[in-house]
Amino acid sequence: MKKRTIQIVAKQVWVHTLKNKSSFWLISFFNILLCFALISGYYHHYNQQKTVKAYSHDVRERWESNPDKHPHRMAHYGYVVFREKFPLSFFDFGMDSYVGNVVFLEAHKQNTINFSEASLSNGLLRFGEISVGMILQLLLPLLVFFWGFGLITEERQHGTLRILLTQGVSWQELIIGKAVGLFYLSLTTYLPCFLLAFVFLLLDASTYHNVEIIGRFLILIISYLSYFFILSLLAVYVSSRSKSSKTSLVSLIGFWLFFALILPKVSQVAGKNLFISPSKIEFDTAIEQELIEQGDSHNPNDPHFKKIKDSLLKAYHVDSTHKLPFNYGGYIMREGERLSAETYQKHQIKLIQVYQKQQNLIRLTAPLNPLIAIKNISMALSGTDYIAYNNFQNQVETYRYHLAQTMNELQMKYISNRVKNSADKNARIEKKHWEEFPDFKAEFLPLRAVFMNEIISFLSLISWIIGFWLLIKYSGKHLKAF
Amino acid sequence: MLIANNLTKKYGDKIALNNLNLNIKTGEIFALLGQNGAGKTTTINCFLGFIKPTSGEATIHGVSVTNHSAETKQYIAYIPETVMLYPNLTGVENLAFFSSLANFNYSKADLSSFLTKAGLQESAHHQAIKSYSKGMRQKVGIAIAVAKKAIALLLDEPTSGLDPKASNEFSEILRELSTNGTSILMATHDIFRAKEVAHRIGIMKEGNLVSEIEAKDISANELEQLYLQTV
Repeated sequence: MKKRTIQIVAKQVWVHTLKNKSSFWLISFFNILLCFALISGYYHHYNQQKTVKAYSHDVRERWESNPDKHPHRMAHYGYVVFREKFPLSFFDFGMDSYVGNVVFLEAHKQNTINFSEASLSNGLLRFGEISVGMILQLLLPLLVFFWGFGLITEERQHGTLRILLTQGVSWQELIIGKAVGLFYLSLTTYLPCFLLAFVFLLLDASTYHNVEIIGRFLILIISYLSYFFILSLLAVYVSSRSKSSKTSLVSLIGFWLFFALILPKVSQVAGKNLFISPSKIEFDTAIEQELIEQGDSHNPNDPHFKKIKDSLLKAYHVDSTHKLPFNYGGYIMREGERLSAETYQKHQIKLIQVYQKQQNLIRLTAPLNPLIAIKNISMALSGTDYIAYNNFQNQVETYRYHLAQTMNELQMKYISNRVKNSADKNARIEKKHWEEFPDFKAEFLPLRAVFMNEIISFLSLISWIIGFWLLIKYSGKHLKAF
Repeated sequence: MLIANNLTKKYGDKIALNNLNLNIKTGEIFALLGQNGAGKTTTINCFLGFIKPTSGEATIHGVSVTNHSAETKQYIAYIPETVMLYPNLTGVENLAFFSSLANFNYSKADLSSFLTKAGLQESAHHQAIKSYSKGMRQKVGIAIAVAKKAIALLLDEPTSGLDPKASNEFSEILRELSTNGTSILMATHDIFRAKEVAHRIGIMKEGNLVSEIEAKDISANELEQLYLQTV
């Protein structure tokens, strides 16, 4: 294959298409649409971050301004945690609008993360949102197919193809050249948006020096470029195999329907049916049932906790819990918290495993569907996929557990066994302890972890390019000039 | 220059071309006459390398088309019945594109001179091809062949649909190319044009070359009679 010939063919596609007035309008339309989606996404992201920061600050202030009181009362006073959006989430909303943003943390109880965008909207969200990711994944491929469906068939129908091939151009050079030209054309629609997104990232002081986020953005761009190169190769290859432009267009629309609707829907339904996940009620009931079987830490006659009490009395050679060197109530609650958290974790891990199996089934269709591959990569790098949400959920539970156990330990250490109840004056500890308890700070997944989670999707994109390369290289002999 | 040696092409049981033997010398114009489906276009496609013969061989400048298709492309140029080209590009831009594919990088002045030689008026050189008549597009096709410095020209119904003036201009250009040493194989339905421009004429029927005549030895009327008797 001659690089020069590929460049000449690519340039011809570029010049010929751009000389068409409709191309100018289409490029303008998609640029405006993408920039609108980007700016509105960034504005929404910026406002939400501002709100989250303000309320998180408020929650912290209220926590610290609590007066001296019993630590267990503080454990039930609780903490409110807000989900911070990843700096790149304005690019691809992913699951962000459908998962909760706020969670109330308290002892003994794992509350769900509430107030998702979807739960607060008026139902319009079901029609989908306009995000840069959605436009790039779903709408722009239609433009690429529209530009590409006739690139070879029209040459064939007009007889130009035979002149081209007689000039010494090989089939491989022709297809690759046309695909490269089509890819260059697609760049005109989204390159300005990528540059603007990069400016937005640099404007944000928190991301300006963050190599990790800049790295994620660059990988995101490379992934999208690969995706559009695959689409360009597909469009030109289908055109080369089709007898007429009409057949080529119908085939490409068929591919789009298969990629965008049929395969994702089928894999989603198959995943749900093959790996059945419990409903929220079933999940909560199963945990409650197991906790009842384990015992009630608030009931002094509960067999499990009575056994602990007896062993403690024996170990410390005392005949009453009042004589223990630590607060017995705190100890029991610490044990109860440990048991309930372990039970919750056990069920949660099982649930996540089911979700992961469902996700993996969809992920496994990526080698058949470049749209699934780019969708997964885009959401993962934008920090809006389920794994990112699950990472937040895990950190929230860890923090809640730490909060509850810290309060239990403070009770064990500072509260005498002689106090009758938490309202007792002697049952209070100093408020400095609330200040000493650290604030919640979510950590986003590192790039390496994101990359490994989506390794199938990355490999799928690479396989599509290599697959097309081989297909074009070896199928040239079977293509017809007329 | 252009040699067909027992060239045969079968599609299942149907014989499209049957043991065709041809030898077109340097600077010679050979016209193939025949009805639709007689095997004229199949012959041209075999020389272009777009059809692989079932048996026999087509050679251009001594090189086998079947075995060295890419190499033979450097010697030939092809003009189809209708030269569509790229409607949004100008005559000069189209010519520049096709010439660059054949490894020729001409200046704008050179490109214009090729178009002028092919008979295209200068005012049209920088107009988009979509505003061209069929005759004007055929002239761009000729310019592409000339710019490529092809030593063999394959034409498939090149004057079909051209008005008499344009058709006559086209014949003039072919004669000029032939004088300069270009071998030309032309498939046509136009008996008068074949007699006027060709050195030799072959009449094909059902894949066979049934008659081969020196154009100078026969009048247009006799050729027409022979053609009607043959097909």
